[in-house]
Amino acid sequence: MKMVNAFNMKRAAAGLRRINLDGLRWRVFDAKGQILGRLASQIATVVQGKDKPTYTPNRDDGDMCIVLNAKDVCVTGRKLTDKERTFKDQMAKDPTEVIRKAVLRMLPRNKLRDDRDRKLRIFPSSEHPFGDRPLEPYVMPPRSVREMRPRERRAMVRAQKAEQQQQNTDGTKKGKKREAPEESA
Amino acid sequence: MTRIKRGYIARKRRTQIRLFTSSFRGAHSRLTRTISQQKIKALVSANRDRDRKKRGFRGLWIHRINAIIGKNKKKQYNRYSNLLYNMYKGQLLLNRKIVAQMGILKGNCLLMIANEIIT
Repeated sequence: MKMVNAFNMKRAAAGLRRINLDGLRWRVFDAKGQILGRLASQIATVVQGKDKPTYTPNRDDGDMCIVLNAKDVCVTGRKLTDKERTFKDQMAKDPTEVIRKAVLRMLPRNKLRDDRDRKLRIFPSSEHPFGDRPLEPYVMPPRSVREMRPRERRAMVRAQKAEQQQQNTDGTKKGKKREAPEESA
Repeated sequence: MTRIKRGYIARKRRTQIRLFTSSFRGAHSRLTRTISQQKIKALVSANRDRDRKKRGFRGLWIHRINAIIGKNKKKQYNRYSNLLYNMYKGQLLLNRKIVAQMGILKGNCLLMIANEIIT
């Protein structure tokens, strides 16, 4: 893995010559703890240049996006284990590919797509060779977590109460037996 | 009846069309029959797209206004829809083209107006 990372670093700094305009900003996304799809859609918006007032659909004017901590990206539900080609395997092979594919598939499929791909630099950890550029961190919009479904909530409440029980009681079995039927009712 | 050839009437007509189509690609500028067809298609597209152009630019302006208004994180409802609603309420009769141009050239000016208007 260390060898692969070193190779990626060189490649990441290399392709910069092809990108013409350098009036672009360098936006830094921290993927730690972010949800994969939501992060990818924000990145796609920035890479297309859609948050600028000078957006032109036939020109590629997006900012350079650097994504850090790609291996800490999260996924909700049971997606980590339940997919056919598991997410876990892909993370083991090459954690940057997950985010790159997610963003690429969110970009419009036209002639500018490859150029936009070149503007995306993803790094699995926090180190990146672009330390000397003027970087701008990107603040994600606040995330609205949906309410837990009732069954999950009940299970969580039960688990919490079980933990509290174990902390409170000092080992009397009778006490536990009395408390348990009260809860389930 | 004596035989009358049409002469060069048809050729005169077709050379006019050929002039129009002279910069088209491949067979579309060389073969007589396709030249007539391509001229018709080109004019139809031009006619239709003159109206489409107006729609397209309006959409682009709306997009640009939304982009610059959304950056102002002070107010809560920083959207194009809210800006327009409040502009109509406040009877500010700027059209989208001007607002978009303001956004590009004098961004701060637009944000000042937006801050005042959006409740």
